[in-house]
Amino acid sequence: MPATTEPISLLQQTLTEFGVLVVGVTLVISGALLYFRRVRMERPPIGTFNGRDIVILLLFISVLPFLYGYLPYWIITCLLIVTFSSALYIGYHQVLGRGWTWLGIGLLIGLNYWTSHHLMGTTAGWQLWWAELTILVGLGAISVSNLYVQGGMRLQLVAWLALGLAVYDIVFATLLPLTDQLVAGYLAHPLDPLLGMRFGIDNYGVGLGDLLVYSLFLIACYKAYGAKAARIAYGLILVMGAFVTAFIPFLGNFVDTQLDLLIPSQALFGPAAFGCYLWMKRRWGPERTMAQYLASADAAPAAPAAVPARLAPGPAPEPASEPASV
Amino acid sequence: MLDTGVRQFRMAMGMVWGRRLSPRNIGLLVNDVIATIAEFGEPGEEAQEVLGGPLGSAEDRLEWANRGVNRTARRLAAKSPFYARRFAAVAADPAKLDVAGLRAIPVTTKQDLIEASADFRCSDVAPCLVTRTTGTTGRPAEVWLSRYEMELWPALGALTSVLRGELKPGDVMQVNVSSRATASTHLAATSCRLAGAMCRLLGILPPDESLDSLTQGGATLLLTVPSYLAELVHAARRRGLGPGDFRLRRVTVGGEVLSPHLAEAACQTLGVPLIEDPYSMTEVIPVTGRTCSHRHLHHDVNIGLTERLDLRTGEPAEAGALATLVITPYFPYRDCAPVFRFDTRDVVRCLPDGPLGCELAGIPATSQILGKADHLLHLGDGVVVTPRQLVDAIEALPAQPWPARYRAMADDGQLRLVLPAVAIAGIGEAAARRHLAEALGGLDVDLAIVDDDQARTLRPTRSDLRETTFASEPVLVGA
Repeated sequence: MPATTEPISLLQQTLTEFGVLVVGVTLVISGALLYFRRVRMERPPIGTFNGRDIVILLLFISVLPFLYGYLPYWIITCLLIVTFSSALYIGYHQVLGRGWTWLGIGLLIGLNYWTSHHLMGTTAGWQLWWAELTILVGLGAISVSNLYVQGGMRLQLVAWLALGLAVYDIVFATLLPLTDQLVAGYLAHPLDPLLGMRFGIDNYGVGLGDLLVYSLFLIACYKAYGAKAARIAYGLILVMGAFVTAFIPFLGNFVDTQLDLLIPSQALFGPAAFGCYLWMKRRWGPERTMAQYLASADAAPAAPAAVPARLAPGPAPEPASEPASV
Repeated sequence: MLDTGVRQFRMAMGMVWGRRLSPRNIGLLVNDVIATIAEFGEPGEEAQEVLGGPLGSAEDRLEWANRGVNRTARRLAAKSPFYARRFAAVAADPAKLDVAGLRAIPVTTKQDLIEASADFRCSDVAPCLVTRTTGTTGRPAEVWLSRYEMELWPALGALTSVLRGELKPGDVMQVNVSSRATASTHLAATSCRLAGAMCRLLGILPPDESLDSLTQGGATLLLTVPSYLAELVHAARRRGLGPGDFRLRRVTVGGEVLSPHLAEAACQTLGVPLIEDPYSMTEVIPVTGRTCSHRHLHHDVNIGLTERLDLRTGEPAEAGALATLVITPYFPYRDCAPVFRFDTRDVVRCLPDGPLGCELAGIPATSQILGKADHLLHLGDGVVVTPRQLVDAIEALPAQPWPARYRAMADDGQLRLVLPAVAIAGIGEAAARRHLAEALGGLDVDLAIVDDDQARTLRPTRSDLRETTFASEPVLVGA
């Protein structure tokens, strides 16, 4: 007989959310940095991530909530399968080989699809679903952030992206409150782009978009200015992305129409990241190019790409920035 | 990155479908390559595939050539008065024409181009610029260019050059070719502009003035002709200049035979690792050839067809045979006054069948250009002496008589060679004869020596297209 779980206090929720954020965010951004130091991704023969890509990315992200809102779930699921498969394949086929990568992608996506339909009646089932989804989303964030930065995305562009997403989060959390509908509406569906865990009757999570921006910021700082900048980035991400995000409900009302706590975390992180970038630029000067980074002592010997790039991979579609708490 | 992908796709589709390419699109791709190199230090792997090649297999190349030939022939039949007549005269159906059927179409000669220049102009294109050939073989031919061609070729050239690292932002290119070579100078200047490099168009000036510009102007690239390169090397040595006085990283020559001895001397004096010696010709622009480290000449297969026709039979040449290069630039790379099966009369020797073993092994190759067909000397019993053999042999003389000035003729089965006295300075006639005989594979050489003031009349070179300046020539005073 399942244990009855009572609603818990805001402080308990906040502390739990903080724990989930610290663990989840730290694991993902550390994984992204480790990947950046150890693995050299294939890159297109010509092309580097530029400002136009940021604009296109932001436009795409802005359109995404409407697509989520109006498209049938099965189409969204198909889009997410394509997105995750692409992200994971691009990121890991040169590490694991093509066969193992496709096998892993199939298992992760297949298991997530199955658990979404068969194990959601119990807390343990939810937790298995969250754990499995967390692996999928975390690996996706590590892969895509590296694809962007190793593709030439400079810290300057990451900072502008974070600022753009801050505006996005504010708009879609307040003026056009679609985010909460999306989160609540799509929760428990296959490949929900969230990382998190369930405790009792509450789900705690952070969106893939947030993880992606944190990972981008950390590895772009490391690439641009080295370990000293990465340490600052770590601190900023954990303070703004975990501590402030988790505890800000004490300062304002973030309860949405579904009575969920929904924190537009990029609204907090974006301006801070942009300010941090400006400070670093002023203190340390121009950021390093990828070539300069690779020639520096910061670059660990990397696993070379096993398969030469045949097609110029464009930036993978980025999932919508998700709220920090659901 | 996304827009770069779109640009590459547009260019690839234009190449595959044979539609006019957008020079602006290619120019933006050049910017993308420069940005890529600035970020990563070099383009990504397989960057050369952006240029459409190398086409991997012989089947791929044949399929590509069939499509290019057919597309070009259909357009020429409809738009070019000269080729409409030519195809009609041999009852050729352009719609069905492919590589196998090409032999039915007579080659186009330089004489055709000289006599009926206006008839080569296609009716659907507005000519913009006429350029004249500047070779030393006789009357110049005129080639009309459209604005599209004038924009496309430099864009393709710049893209190729920046992808290969041959041209970089900040480079300074000094161009010492005849100022009348408008196609060449336009290509150089515009390619430099697109690549963010500087270009100094000097022409064939007195060598000391060009040397001043090289040493004081910080040129990193030099584009010239072998005979003028020889004059620069002489002048530099006379002035005691060496590698430390130059910032050059590449020297490229064309239009004449470059001997190994001159190339080696130029490398030592100018401080560059090698002298690049590609093949190009005004009449068949933009089809070119590249020389590899094995001194093969690799012919572009993407934008034109290069046939090797036996000099005697006019049929495709066998391995080891001497052949003239017959070139057909494909549409859309030529659109104003295109040529079809243009017989360049540039002679090569076909390489033996089998793997080439060089860094460009995937691209069809021949020997380097051996000279003009009309300059071959047939000594009987199948013995043929090529201009390259003569230039190599003469420029290897201890007196270093660069550029080689000579007159050669076949005289009753014997090679008769006239040299200026300076060519045999220090060794005498007998030693020179022995040297030449050895260098020419044991041929008996009948040597005649003339005064040095007759040297220029023996063999004109492109460095003879000397341009005067007020700095180097006496200035007229008064009316």
